[in-house]
Amino acid sequence: MPPLLRRVLVLCASIFAVLTFNFFLFHIIPGDPIRLIARSQRLDPEAVARLRTTYGLDGSLPEQYGKYLSNLAHGDLGYSFSLHENVADIVGRALLNTLILLTVSTLIVVLVGIAIGVFAGSRQGTRSDSTTVVTSLVFWSLPTFWVGMLLVFIFGVWIGGLPISGITTPNAVYGNWFQYISDIGRHLILPTLTLAIVDIAFFVIITRTSLLEVMGEDYMLTARGKGLSRRTMVWKHATRNALLPVVTASVLYISALVAGAIQVEVVFSWPGMGLLMYNSVMARDYPTLEACFLLTSVAVLVANFCADLIYRRLDPRVTVGT
Amino acid sequence: MVSMQTSSGPSDAQHGLVSRRSVLRAALLSSAFIAAPALLAACAPPTTTVATNKIFRVGWKSDIDTLNPLTTVTTEAVEVQSLIYDTLMAYGLDLKPEPSLAASTVAAGATITYTLRDGVTWHDGTAFTSDDVVYTFDLIAKNALGVNAQYFSDYVSAAAPDAKTVVVTFKRPQAFDPGLVVPIMPKHIWSSQSVDQIQKAANDKPIGTGPFTFKERKQGQSVSVTRNEKWWGDKPAAAGASWTVYTNDDLMAQALKNGEIDIIPQVPPTVFTGLQGETTLTSESLDSFSFHHIGINLSQVPGSKGNPLLLDKGVRQALGYALDRKQIAEIAYAGFASPGGSILTPSLGDFYYEPTGDAVIDNNPEKANALLDAAGYTAKDGDGIRQTKDGKPLAFRIIAISTTSTDVRTAQLFQATAAKVGIKLDFATVDSDTMASTVYNVEAPDWDIFVWGWDSGVNDPCYLLGVPLTSQIGGNNDVFYSNPAYDALYDQQATELDHAKRVAIVMQMQQMFYEDCGYLVAVYIKKLQSYGNAGWANLTAVPGGIIFNFTRDNYLKATPAGS
Repeated sequence: MPPLLRRVLVLCASIFAVLTFNFFLFHIIPGDPIRLIARSQRLDPEAVARLRTTYGLDGSLPEQYGKYLSNLAHGDLGYSFSLHENVADIVGRALLNTLILLTVSTLIVVLVGIAIGVFAGSRQGTRSDSTTVVTSLVFWSLPTFWVGMLLVFIFGVWIGGLPISGITTPNAVYGNWFQYISDIGRHLILPTLTLAIVDIAFFVIITRTSLLEVMGEDYMLTARGKGLSRRTMVWKHATRNALLPVVTASVLYISALVAGAIQVEVVFSWPGMGLLMYNSVMARDYPTLEACFLLTSVAVLVANFCADLIYRRLDPRVTVGT
Repeated sequence: MVSMQTSSGPSDAQHGLVSRRSVLRAALLSSAFIAAPALLAACAPPTTTVATNKIFRVGWKSDIDTLNPLTTVTTEAVEVQSLIYDTLMAYGLDLKPEPSLAASTVAAGATITYTLRDGVTWHDGTAFTSDDVVYTFDLIAKNALGVNAQYFSDYVSAAAPDAKTVVVTFKRPQAFDPGLVVPIMPKHIWSSQSVDQIQKAANDKPIGTGPFTFKERKQGQSVSVTRNEKWWGDKPAAAGASWTVYTNDDLMAQALKNGEIDIIPQVPPTVFTGLQGETTLTSESLDSFSFHHIGINLSQVPGSKGNPLLLDKGVRQALGYALDRKQIAEIAYAGFASPGGSILTPSLGDFYYEPTGDAVIDNNPEKANALLDAAGYTAKDGDGIRQTKDGKPLAFRIIAISTTSTDVRTAQLFQATAAKVGIKLDFATVDSDTMASTVYNVEAPDWDIFVWGWDSGVNDPCYLLGVPLTSQIGGNNDVFYSNPAYDALYDQQATELDHAKRVAIVMQMQQMFYEDCGYLVAVYIKKLQSYGNAGWANLTAVPGGIIFNFTRDNYLKATPAGS
């Protein structure tokens, strides 16, 4: 079997295991969801039976599982207890918002992180190196929500001018698309800045450490011996080789962000996956939570799969399947 | 995780979900008859406001759940829907019923006849007729749909003899006119859907007859509506209304100060004190129809795991004497509550019973000690906890919802004062769902004492008085109180047309329930609301709230500040 095919099969098996686990996890939790929906409402047995059917909770557990799989195959993620809407629609909207935040912030965090990491790593032992490392460590240790609150305080209360909540301005009337996009852009500033302040450090440290290792390799000595410029040495020879762990970290970072940067989304009321999961936990909305978990797990699996592929490109010594 | 969810206000328990203690779950508990003319009285004199381009902007903590009136459970959604849909009757600013879609209402025996207003159209231009009302009532009653289904337990049928008349027949006379709360829905839009489809409908473009038309909903963020220029009533000055979700109380307060929103209908006490000092804001501490209480498990079913010592009225009264309600109002509620007593709130006016003299069961450790001593509960083994003659300690479990900080504080204060009279309370916090499923477990309630609250959605004693009825066990009756004498008085007051006589019966019921100590009503809470002076004027502060109340009139009557 070709290694790539094997990888794909393993991926599919893992996804199947995850969704099975996911289903049973939410169906063995004690407590009758119908009771939660109905709360103290007094319901006649007929109404209870209808609610069971509506929420797909009728039938035995294996039957429900079969129905769950077939619904899933049809893209039906169930019906939300708390939002009274198809989960697929809810999650779709939240995912889109999270992807906007994720794309912008990941690009900034990873690219700037690598750049600073290379800058520090190539100047090992100098004052600018130690300053960068210490600053990074300090920022890295800051709690994300605290940084968010601090920015809210600074830009919302002291200075003003930047939106501190939501993805667009309530009641805004847009003359054209550009105004709409720039409104979203303005709302992106503080959440992105929060993520950047805390998470850039992660990439700075990884890139720096990895670069230092590479710089000590024999072939770097050879490169220097060939009379290559420092810039060529660092960027062309060292950085590319040092990127391997950074790729792993980036992929994991992205897959973690699919779950939504929960803290940032909650602080800034950013209506993405994080806020959705947070609210679903608060409302015990199992179908929505189930879908969120499923999506997150699949994202991690797929991201790892992609990381494997990228690895192969970056370093031919790594062969898929080993 | 951000800790913003630690509610600092009493609001959580009452307004997160309508499910328990809802604004709309006024119980229709027994047959009754309310004089029809009362419903027709007091149509407020027409006030004319000038339409403007200004939006009435509200900030709150929870998103609406859905725009489908048949599946919604949150107070937030009911608030938004109340501007999109009309009801047949509506509460005015004096909290009395007024005509709305029905120009007049006549209740005779078990039937209610509504004569509908002329010239009403749906937001899509279709004419509104009596068929729509019949359709809505039938749909809810026959399929038990939504929170309003409870008003239709005695429903027989609705008929439309002509386009302007609806005759609704019940099995018995009705104490509560469901026309006050049921949003009338357009038959031409909904009738093509099956009940299952209706239950799953997001209704993301709601069509009503109300003063505002739906504009837009951004899930998790905001909802907005636009003035309905063709509405049958006086045109509101507000060009629209919007409700924006803030995940954080401080952010929301900041938005109010910055003028990004006009009003916050639920301000936590800690934030409220800060806002009170702002000269650009008006902050109102209003009487509400809510109380928070200590509930005692009185269940006698074989499966009950409640401590049987609590079935002794003397023990419960001793707990009542151990409770310091004034201290709770001052400490747990920072003064934004008044000490409790009866099951009815003072906002219900002359129906409210206030115990005096020897009848007062509150903050009296000597009396608690005397009661327990006389009953033979004494502390023997030096740990200060009283025991029964056969050695069972007076030790009880007490639970409260972890995020309702006022209830948590109440439990802690109660724990301290109970210890002083030799009663041990073991306190644990739970989340709200666990609370509901634990407390309402009729077959096997495994709890002793809880702290929670109730909110009346109607300006009538029937709802709160109905909570401890035997017939409500399995429904609202959260302490499994059962007293045939009380039940009989309830039916009696519900059919008593003479106000003074009804008041007398209601007093007797409250006194009876107060003495039995199934509930120790700890506090009557205040509703704290703040609005910007630069935004809207002509807002009337009414018990229950300027907005987020069972009247929508402040939205309709607000005028731009400075105009």
